[in-house]
Amino acid sequence: MIVDRSDEVPRLKWPRRFPVPRNLGVAVHSRIAEGKSWPAPEGATRIATLRIYRFDPDGMAGPRLDTFRVDLDDCGPMLLDALIWIKSRIDPTLTFRHSCREGVCGSCAMTIDGTNWTACTRAMADLAQPAMIFPLANLPVIKDLVPDQSHLFAQYEMIEPWLHAETPAPERERLQSPRERAALDGYYECILCFCCTSGCPSHWWNGDRFLGPATLLQAWRWLADSRDEGRGERLDALEDPFRLYRCHTILNCTRTCPRGLNPGRAIAEIKKKMIERQG
Amino acid sequence: MSHRRPKSPNMQNYRPQLTSVLSFGHRLSGVALSLGAFGLAGWLMAGASGQDAFGSAQALLLSVPGRIALFLVTLALFYHLCNGVRHLVWDSGRGFELRAIYAGGWTVVGTSLILALALWTWWPA
Repeated sequence: MIVDRSDEVPRLKWPRRFPVPRNLGVAVHSRIAEGKSWPAPEGATRIATLRIYRFDPDGMAGPRLDTFRVDLDDCGPMLLDALIWIKSRIDPTLTFRHSCREGVCGSCAMTIDGTNWTACTRAMADLAQPAMIFPLANLPVIKDLVPDQSHLFAQYEMIEPWLHAETPAPERERLQSPRERAALDGYYECILCFCCTSGCPSHWWNGDRFLGPATLLQAWRWLADSRDEGRGERLDALEDPFRLYRCHTILNCTRTCPRGLNPGRAIAEIKKKMIERQG
Repeated sequence: MSHRRPKSPNMQNYRPQLTSVLSFGHRLSGVALSLGAFGLAGWLMAGASGQDAFGSAQALLLSVPGRIALFLVTLALFYHLCNGVRHLVWDSGRGFELRAIYAGGWTVVGTSLILALALWTWWPA
């Protein structure tokens, strides 16, 4: 009932999803059909079932939900291991992004059993049966579990995520006291996996103009930086009914961050700065 | 690319959590209170226009559907009030630890239920 850390797997077995029709408000070309069901590998004793969202951009069909059965004795412990196992043993066309396999690159972020997380840091033992594996929510799908994140990165670019400085560059690096550096803790660790933005209902419905938690956490990371001299312009750019203030403190973001960061708090800090400068 | 990219599902697939459910509840209770305000205005207008009209308004409100609607409006009122306080705490920059988010959320659920039930139990009708 009480959640302490974002890495706690949701415990409630019901409800798994909102009591709305599967295709509520879903455009025809996004509706999900029943796909192929692959049999369990021969001789397997410990089997996990994965229902995986598939979309083939070269075919004429829309998205479908395939069922795979994974031999847990033949593959590694994490969901990413299982996906790689499926790709090498069952269906080589299964497509997903991955790189670091230890939760620091953010490539394998996906919607796992209805919440966003990186596949490499979610244990197979913690999945529901059957487990539902979807690409990150609310994004155009390029293929299978690979979503198009261009819009999210365009929003990230909008907050100009680099140091703004008027003063001439010093001989060596711009200095910061340990205390000033500590103000960035909890913000600089963001890996831009966009689990939070993709899980934010406000971004689902106003994502064209609302920047979303990941980008706003980054905006705060620069506002909180003692070396940055662009605070006024940064706040000006965010002072907008949509860009910042479509955050209604739902806090799905803080619940779903695979790094255990707190976008909700970062956004509250920005809102406080807005009030403070009005005097 | 042969056709448009599909969009991955959001609300149709994302798990209901205390965070999102209470937020939707805040919006819904706000809508309920706006509708309730119309009801309140209608009740006052009926009272101002004479005994017959007030009698029918009372009969409507005291019928079983009327009482259910009234209970839901009081529940919405207390929920919106308690969750509004939770939002004020957040606006001060506090209470963003996950434990605080969940503990505060359940506190709001419990408090608004207790207040609504207490009002209906002890209000001199």
